[in-house]
Amino acid sequence: MTPRFPSSARDILALFERRGAEAVDVPVIQPADPFLDMAGEDLRRRIFLTESETGESLCLRPEFTIPVCRMHIEAAEAGHRRYAYLGEVFRQRREGGNEFFQAGIEDLGDTDINSADARSLADALALVTMLMPAQALTVSMGDQAVFEAVLASLGLPRGWQQRLARAFGAPDQMAAALEALSSGSGQKTELDDAIAALVARDDRAELEARIAARMTETGISPSAGRSPAEIAGRLIDKARLASVRLAPEAIAALQDFLSISAPLADASSTLQGFAARAGLKIDAALAAFDARVAAIANAGLDLGFIRYDAAFGRPLDYYTGLVFELHAPGQERPVAGGGRYDRLLTLLGAPAPISGVGFSVWLDRTEQAREI
Amino acid sequence: MAVTIALPSKGRLKEQAIAVFENAGYSIRQPEDARQYRASVDGHDGIEIAFLSASEIARELGAGTVDMGVTGEDLVRETLAAWDEKVEISARLGFGHADVIVAVPEVWFDVNTMADLNDVAAEFRMGHGRRLRIATKYWRLTQQFFSRAHGIQVYRIVESLGATEGAPAAGSADVIVDITSTGSTLRANHLKILDDGVILKSQACLVTGKGVLAGAEAALAREIVGRIGDSLR
Repeated sequence: MTPRFPSSARDILALFERRGAEAVDVPVIQPADPFLDMAGEDLRRRIFLTESETGESLCLRPEFTIPVCRMHIEAAEAGHRRYAYLGEVFRQRREGGNEFFQAGIEDLGDTDINSADARSLADALALVTMLMPAQALTVSMGDQAVFEAVLASLGLPRGWQQRLARAFGAPDQMAAALEALSSGSGQKTELDDAIAALVARDDRAELEARIAARMTETGISPSAGRSPAEIAGRLIDKARLASVRLAPEAIAALQDFLSISAPLADASSTLQGFAARAGLKIDAALAAFDARVAAIANAGLDLGFIRYDAAFGRPLDYYTGLVFELHAPGQERPVAGGGRYDRLLTLLGAPAPISGVGFSVWLDRTEQAREI
Repeated sequence: MAVTIALPSKGRLKEQAIAVFENAGYSIRQPEDARQYRASVDGHDGIEIAFLSASEIARELGAGTVDMGVTGEDLVRETLAAWDEKVEISARLGFGHADVIVAVPEVWFDVNTMADLNDVAAEFRMGHGRRLRIATKYWRLTQQFFSRAHGIQVYRIVESLGATEGAPAAGSADVIVDITSTGSTLRANHLKILDDGVILKSQACLVTGKGVLAGAEAALAREIVGRIGDSLR
């Protein structure tokens, strides 16, 4: 262990071992594309990019989850593995320095989702509690799956559900999306008569043929980018919804839902109350939620200091269920963050779906909080 | 000490910039040798003119190596991070109009707005396993508009150094962000501008570095801004 590492490094590695997670080494220099593909183009200005001699885009490791998942996929690991890491990450930040340490555990391939979720939360709490023993930590928790169940049970069109699901966790975008869907702005489409007639007749086959012909005429490859089938399908869906507006009751229900905030011990009954009030059937999602709460209680965690916030989510499309953050008193930003990302490994190229849940502790923040 | 003003080094932009200064009473004595990139102003020994390419002007203003300059607002906003901490736009000069816009293939009949494009970008990534590609030379403006103003994350910028409007037909990109003044190049390439796809309505501007406004030559710089402002009324 070089002096560069935080003084707590030995304790952290010992805790990983006690909790049965295997420490892995992740190279500092990583291909940049997987990070940009997952987090989006906006990440480009926040990471340290360089290029290899052969033109490959490389970056300094901005986080651990994606490299660990890629190692798991490349090794063609079957079954359940828990990978632990401790090391520096590099990000361009206006405040707080560009290099800092993170430690965490990625739990891949466990099919018992509830116990994996509970264990991840317990591991994160154990690690942060060890690092900041005297601090009264609080946990906030959210659930992408409950929100998606609410959207589905409101009977919203699929495209709308997806649009709102993408805005989950981003209040400004959520407000903008709700406003657009309730006012109908941007839903009308100006089409030339021939295309409009085909859309009105719902003649998908002829529409696709027209679009393909038009692509050929205008020099757009029908196979390189969006296909005629995609354009025709979305055009017909959009036309069907052109005169439909998000109903005031649906907006009220969504706003009611998003304002829910309750201690985890009361979250189930609060959600049931909401479902009854709004007349929604979200039983399966609530059952899954309850099973997770039970698993968390079984893992010996005190539900009293965990708070469920219905609006808490991350606007990244690979998060699928649980998200959580650990907060220390007097610190605005979380000292640890985690969540379930069952879509991530497939997006990174895994041939079959692999479930995953994990967390990362910001060691710069735990150190800082200790000094306060 | 002098105030250095950078003007475009060639073409119509150069002529129009010189005319703006003439109208404000600053007669620029052009060098006899056209390869000479420095000039002076009759009766104003405190002003030096430097002829630079339009994109260099924005960069040099940001670095503080020239004090004032005439360049496009698009180049100021694109070239300089936190541009408004470094320079101010002192006057909009009424020429060099160009809009920075988002355009998609005409045949994308279902796409008229950025909200449509957001839906399409998300579906595309799920369906094709890669991000929708945007060809542009405006990295910064594109990121600000897509990521921050519209919350679109899953796209990829493909750098384009010329003929951006040809990228969709060439198969190197799906969408473009580019400048247009009349839209005719876009139409010729069968592209359409999204209804809310105008990122910036740009024109040539007189731009002043914040450094000179805080320094010994501040009075002279303000006088130049004032006279040009008056002459435009």
